Amino acid sequence: MVIFVSKRAIDAVFEGFFLLTDIRVMLRETAPKHDLDENQREKVRSLLDALEKDVAVLREELA
Amino acid sequence: MKCAGTIDVRDIDESSINIDPIQVGGRLTADAMKAIIAYGDGYSVCDQCRKPFRLDYIKTPPVDHFHLDLASFVNMDIARVVPGARRGFQAVADAFISPGDPVLITALSHYTEVLAIEGRAGVIREIPKTESTIITADLAANKIEEVTREFHRSPVLLFLDHFDYQYGNCHDLGGIIKVAHQYDIPVLYNGAYTVGIMPVDGKNMGADFVVGSGHKSMAAPAPSGMLATTSEWAGRVFRTTGVKTDVTARTFGIKEIGMMGCTLMGVTLIGMMASFPHVRERVNHWERELANGRKVVDALRSIEGTIIQSEYPRKHTLTRVDTTGSFDRVAQTHKKRGFFFSSALKERGIAGIIPGATKVWKFNTYGMTSSQAEYLAAAFRDIARENGLIVTD
Repeated sequence: MVIFVSKRAIDAVFEGFFLLTDIRVMLRETAPKHDLDENQREKVRSLLDALEKDVAVLREELA
Repeated sequence: MKCAGTIDVRDIDESSINIDPIQVGGRLTADAMKAIIAYGDGYSVCDQCRKPFRLDYIKTPPVDHFHLDLASFVNMDIARVVPGARRGFQAVADAFISPGDPVLITALSHYTEVLAIEGRAGVIREIPKTESTIITADLAANKIEEVTREFHRSPVLLFLDHFDYQYGNCHDLGGIIKVAHQYDIPVLYNGAYTVGIMPVDGKNMGADFVVGSGHKSMAAPAPSGMLATTSEWAGRVFRTTGVKTDVTARTFGIKEIGMMGCTLMGVTLIGMMASFPHVRERVNHWERELANGRKVVDALRSIEGTIIQSEYPRKHTLTRVDTTGSFDRVAQTHKKRGFFFSSALKERGIAGIIPGATKVWKFNTYGMTSSQAEYLAAAFRDIARENGLIVTD
């Protein structure tokens, strides 16, 4: 079966990478203990929310 | 965890405070990481390459503007991206040095400057350093006189490192360039440890060439860098091809010989470009970086028997330290011998020191946060105390 992946899905893949990159950078900024302050925690939560939306887009496109 | 096959994930900067002297200024910005995800394929910046088919003419992505920005960034007339500072040295050496020509470097010059000259069969002469490991204008003047007597002509080029890689010491740039120009010697400013981390003004300092390193100080992947010059020298170092082949009668447009045509055609260039807005801004915060460095240097100085070999107070975040009288003394009787020190650092999440090094070593605090600098300073003190060394507050 051939699955035609949409532009929407491609964008979601890249956006997902970029969101994870922002989390990666936060790991760098807080190394080695990764004691995040409340602002940083809120930022990570927000990034994860956005990431979940991208994953949802990919699931929709796959369906 | 593996990236692929037998290649481990590299998470040193995610899991540790990295103080490797050559790595910290080249760590990617978030934007560079994102850009290289999209541009990882080979000739990825060449999708929209059109006539005259040269890198610095590409409009999408805006490689053309980036070249202008680079020249402006170091206040020179024209700039090119190169695969590492060393290829910048080589391009200038190729344009200026003929076999047998005398060429000046300093006692603290990087080895790649030596190789660039050696590749042209130039004759290397070194400006010595003072006892305090500084290159001065007086020493430069004396050496130029000495070389001129020896060769009956002036050196054809001077390679000058603003801050050297061994001590991170600041040398008398303005004075040395002024002296060199009195003898009509063009000066190549090696900014591998400055361009991208502190303000650099090429014309103001009188440099004929400014070379920077993308992977050392411009938050870019390796190998990347830049070479900038004045309109006076651009035609020589960036000369274009004029050849016509004999059988096929081919010509090659405006490809630049010294650049070997196009230089950075993919991930290296896009990484440099994506980081550039951040790099341009971060050079304005050099004092903050020095303040972080001071926290760590002062902690080391508080440990009995430790000597800062670099000039003090520090003017750079790269520092050379001699712990023969402190941590190496501990190593003599410690069950882990010399590895106790790197092991103790690793336990605290600090990386970048060569395992086993307890005598003379270098570190670089560039790019760390204030709290990371405080953590690092406390870690050095704690390791010293735990091992019976006296630490003064």
